[in-house]
Amino acid sequence: MLATEKESQETESNDLNSNDSKTLVVGHGVRLEGKIDGAMVSDIAGNYNGKIKSDSVNVSQTGIFIGDITGSNINISGKVEGTINSDEQLNINQSADIKGTIEYTSLKVSYGAKVQGRIQHKGVVHNFNNSEEDAPNINNEDNI
Amino acid sequence: MSIFGNKEKEENQPEEKFNFQLGSKDIVNQSTLAKDVQIHGSIEAKDYINFDGSITGTIKSKTVNLGRTSYVKGTVTADQITIEGEVDGDIQGKDVYIKSSAKIKGTIRYSNIDIQDGSIINADLSYS
Repeated sequence: MLATEKESQETESNDLNSNDSKTLVVGHGVRLEGKIDGAMVSDIAGNYNGKIKSDSVNVSQTGIFIGDITGSNINISGKVEGTINSDEQLNINQSADIKGTIEYTSLKVSYGAKVQGRIQHKGVVHNFNNSEEDAPNINNEDNI
Repeated sequence: MSIFGNKEKEENQPEEKFNFQLGSKDIVNQSTLAKDVQIHGSIEAKDYINFDGSITGTIKSKTVNLGRTSYVKGTVTADQITIEGEVDGDIQGKDVYIKSSAKIKGTIRYSNIDIQDGSIINADLSYS
């Protein structure tokens, strides 16, 4: 069952490649250094040292990333050291090991993941007024 | 004050949502502090604290559940901590569950952590 799942994923990514859909894959065992920008989907299964800016970033279980990740949807299952900046959804899976700074909009961390460093929510100013939902129902009088 | 009294909680009236975490028979003493309770100081219990009020100070127990209306300014220490409300301060637990309604500022020290979508966290995390 797992195998078929993998196969379907592979064929899917092959399709993406053939369609010139701005997919980047750093395969398991591959070492890469540098700066990547403009990719839609980036899969990191090898070692990458540098910066990446991509719509979607996946660091898989074998992936080791050192540097800065910027993206909308980011999934981490491997090791990351540096900064992660997500505009939409950031998923940190059970096998993940992260050290550094995280800026997020929506964050899910699975039980078992290791996260060390600063986590910061984007946008909303954190306010501790502790006021209850004090906006009463304002029923506008219609048809005066 | 009666609010501090430990209620003998029978097994036949469990809190549904925490069933899966509680080793049922281990939990004999459960203290519940309601929404309108305000505390300046510290709370300590051996087993289980269900806290919905607001506190400036510390909470310490084996299991601490901070409900949606809860507000803690200070320190929370427990083996298992579930947070649905607001915490401004230090959280220290073996198992820390942060629910979608939670707002957290400060530091979190944990062995295992689980964070749900929607929670607002501005904190320094470290694990041991």
